Amino acid sequence: MIKESYNLTDETELVKASLAGDKRAFGQIVTRYQKMVARTVKGMLGDSVFTEDVGQEVFIKLYSSLSEFRGEAKLSTYIQRIAVNLTLNEIKRRKRFFSMFSQKGNNEMHEFEVADQNTEERREASELVNKALQAMDPKFRIIVTMRMLQGYSTKETAEILDLPLGTVLSRLSRAQEQLKNILVKL
Amino acid sequence: MNPSEIKKLLISSLESDADPIEVSNRLEEEGVTYNFSKSFSDRVIDRVFSTGLIVTHEVEYVKNLSFAFYRIALTGIAAIVLLLISIFLMEGSITFNSLLGLSNSHDESIVCLLTGN
Repeated sequence: MIKESYNLTDETELVKASLAGDKRAFGQIVTRYQKMVARTVKGMLGDSVFTEDVGQEVFIKLYSSLSEFRGEAKLSTYIQRIAVNLTLNEIKRRKRFFSMFSQKGNNEMHEFEVADQNTEERREASELVNKALQAMDPKFRIIVTMRMLQGYSTKETAEILDLPLGTVLSRLSRAQEQLKNILVKL
Repeated sequence: MNPSEIKKLLISSLESDADPIEVSNRLEEEGVTYNFSKSFSDRVIDRVFSTGLIVTHEVEYVKNLSFAFYRIALTGIAAIVLLLISIFLMEGSITFNSLLGLSNSHDESIVCLLTGN
């Protein structure tokens, strides 16, 4: 069932229409949240072309679990949780893969990095942030990504990651220490 | 903004009193932006509303299976190693007989064991 002309702004309506097989409604969800997912996935995995596959998996997983969405949390929080889980799974998978075949494999991934910035300065800034993030421990990297790239408060970060607020605060402080050490070397 | 200013911004962004929205906006202004390709949305829709979804499930299934295999294999190897160590400690050597628990037995006693006489 495809509606001819509409602009669904309410999330619940979008979800209902998507569940009914409305391609455009689901397309609207994808368009609305793809940048948010890109920040999480690319912030965590690096700005490589392979991250697009993980991004696609996020929305595919969203679609297959859309019937479980009760509307208690915001749709963005629900999508963000899926993105975080799939990204952490991908990090684990890459670790397993590269530890089996190569010690320096992870660096090789960055040969495919896509530079889509116009000016040199903007490219450098992006590169600096990416390098710093990739050098961080994943459990700190996710906290930094949520806060620095997504602009989430500590409380929101705790909610998305399903962690106690105290844990997020302590990881935030340890992440800051780690980031300082990394940035000195860059 | 030069690299040292960006570094300062990154570190200060993690202060508990920093405004995360302001930091993310400033970083975006400085070129730290992330986005997927223009055809991303179309490709997602194609995959969701086509047979591609089945393929994804299969890939996921294979991934999970290989992960389960590694877990089982590692547990099995650990159990075998523990068994060999315990045999070595009890029997003093790892021979075929010690693996079968026959190292201290005489032929007669095996005959007794088998015949019951």
